[in-house]
Amino acid sequence: MTTRNLYRQAPWLVITGVIVLLASLFVTFPAVAKPPMQQTEQYCLTCHGDSTLSMTLKSGETLSLYVSQDQLDHSVHSNKGIECEACHNDISTYPHPKLKYETKRELSLNYYQTCEKCHSDNYAKTQDSMHAQVASEGNTESPVCTDCHGHHDTRKPNEPRTLVSETCSKCHVEIVDAYKQSVHGAALIADGNPDVPVCTDCHGVHNIQDPRTVQFRMDSPELCAGCHADKKLMDKYGLSSDVYSIYKRSWHGVDISVYKARWGAVWHDSAVCTDCHGVHDMKKASDPTSKVSPKNLLSTCQQCHPTAGPNWTDAWTGHNEISLARTPTLFYVDKFYTSFTPFILWICIIYVLLQIIHSIVDRVRSTLS
Amino acid sequence: MSGKKPINSVIAHQERTFTRFMLGQRWEHAILILSSFVLLITGLPQKYRGMSWSQDLLSTPERVEFIRQIHHIAAIVLALEAIYHLGRAIYLMARRKMSADMFPNMQDIYDAWHMLQYLFFLRRDKPVYGRYNFEQKVTYWFLFFGFALMGISGFIIWFPVQFTQFLPGGVVPASKMAHSTEAVVAAIFIVIWHFYHVHIERLNLSIFTGRLSEDEMKKFHGREYERVTGQPASKLDEEK
Repeated sequence: MTTRNLYRQAPWLVITGVIVLLASLFVTFPAVAKPPMQQTEQYCLTCHGDSTLSMTLKSGETLSLYVSQDQLDHSVHSNKGIECEACHNDISTYPHPKLKYETKRELSLNYYQTCEKCHSDNYAKTQDSMHAQVASEGNTESPVCTDCHGHHDTRKPNEPRTLVSETCSKCHVEIVDAYKQSVHGAALIADGNPDVPVCTDCHGVHNIQDPRTVQFRMDSPELCAGCHADKKLMDKYGLSSDVYSIYKRSWHGVDISVYKARWGAVWHDSAVCTDCHGVHDMKKASDPTSKVSPKNLLSTCQQCHPTAGPNWTDAWTGHNEISLARTPTLFYVDKFYTSFTPFILWICIIYVLLQIIHSIVDRVRSTLS
Repeated sequence: MSGKKPINSVIAHQERTFTRFMLGQRWEHAILILSSFVLLITGLPQKYRGMSWSQDLLSTPERVEFIRQIHHIAAIVLALEAIYHLGRAIYLMARRKMSADMFPNMQDIYDAWHMLQYLFFLRRDKPVYGRYNFEQKVTYWFLFFGFALMGISGFIIWFPVQFTQFLPGGVVPASKMAHSTEAVVAAIFIVIWHFYHVHIERLNLSIFTGRLSEDEMKKFHGREYERVTGQPASKLDEEK
């Protein structure tokens, strides 16, 4: 019964459905697109929108009190309806309480602590960082949240990705310059390549550690392997994804893995990736300026093997499997031990087994007779 | 042939023995055993550094250095022994004083063929051997070349920078592979081949005592017995 009714009503249902769908095209939902209401921003800007507004601190520095509407428009906070006093939590009225900071830096070092209110995880991570450690040793220039993220114009820190290295280059100028020359940095700047690492991919984001420690050194091959052992990613660029697994079997790699497993606190000079390829300025192996290009390889080896001669570089089999073309001596030794030697050993084993069988048969015969 | 010795032969054993190895050769063998054993037990943990048992043994970087030093000292001892052995052989050969007993010859091929027939129950009698049978020659020459290979490759990986001043660089990784693989091959060979023939087949202590009994001479080195005494070796069988 009901199904028959439904069939009879079907054309009407379809027509109604189409009308509703068409009508919905004209309906908009303005409430969703509208940014959250800002209560105090415009009120504060009646004074702080004046670009000449400034004051002189005790140190003699001039502190600009100007906040531009443009900065706020690009800020992630303002657009989410987060008010001025969310950060400036010591100011709720006009006239403001007297500013107690003597220098601009002192002001920054105190105001950034309000970031913790909302970003407690990342704030806690920074307290564990190299930067915080340097700060605790008395370096007031060590960066706090606002130094990297900005204050009134806080933006997404990695859009575009080049922004990350620009941020770091505020202090680490030479390193970022070297990075820009590297295969990674060049691809980032030239093509906006999304696969190459930026500073934070290797060094971490908030809990950035001292990269000069034993720990960092021992972990560094795995860090590189994060991308360079990823077959899908390496295939995209025609690179071998076996470089790490072959390194791990090499003299250097075994040495490092033993030290890492057992003597993690002991510094060891056996080569890790960056010792040969460079730290921030690693280049393609085919690049003539690369530390591992045939022309420069010997001097790279000589960093650790100072008396090595020109033949020495052939002792390094590279990140390559054994092959007749590349490593003929090794190839024949490998063949010798994988085919000829087992053959000889098996003959010996069979001969001895025949002797054992014969002596057992003899013994059984003599007991029977 | 049954292995049970008649009483009178035991007396003969006490009465008459044959010199097989001179004191110098017995010392050489002792040095060879000792140094090879030390090389093996200090070498294996280095070969298998990635394994946890090796890391348990070599529990500090200092121990790795220490075990390498022991390995190097044992290597020098063995190298000196090898130089003495070769030097003596060359000296004797130059003065036409060395017997050719240890060199392989056609008789070894015939003996091996004969022995194979015996092992497959196609012949009832074992071959009658000379001073060194083909099994013993295989032992000697297998280890001769094995030790030569390990010695050369060992010194190359001990002094890789110096050797590549005049050798191509490729010899270093090749030596590394050859050295550690040959060591394991030699160890397997000694355990299977040498230990069977000198301990299990019969306990042959002549390399330590230097002497073989008349029975042993007749039974295992019949042609040598005939050459030395001028008497037929098969007398033992006739006595039974």
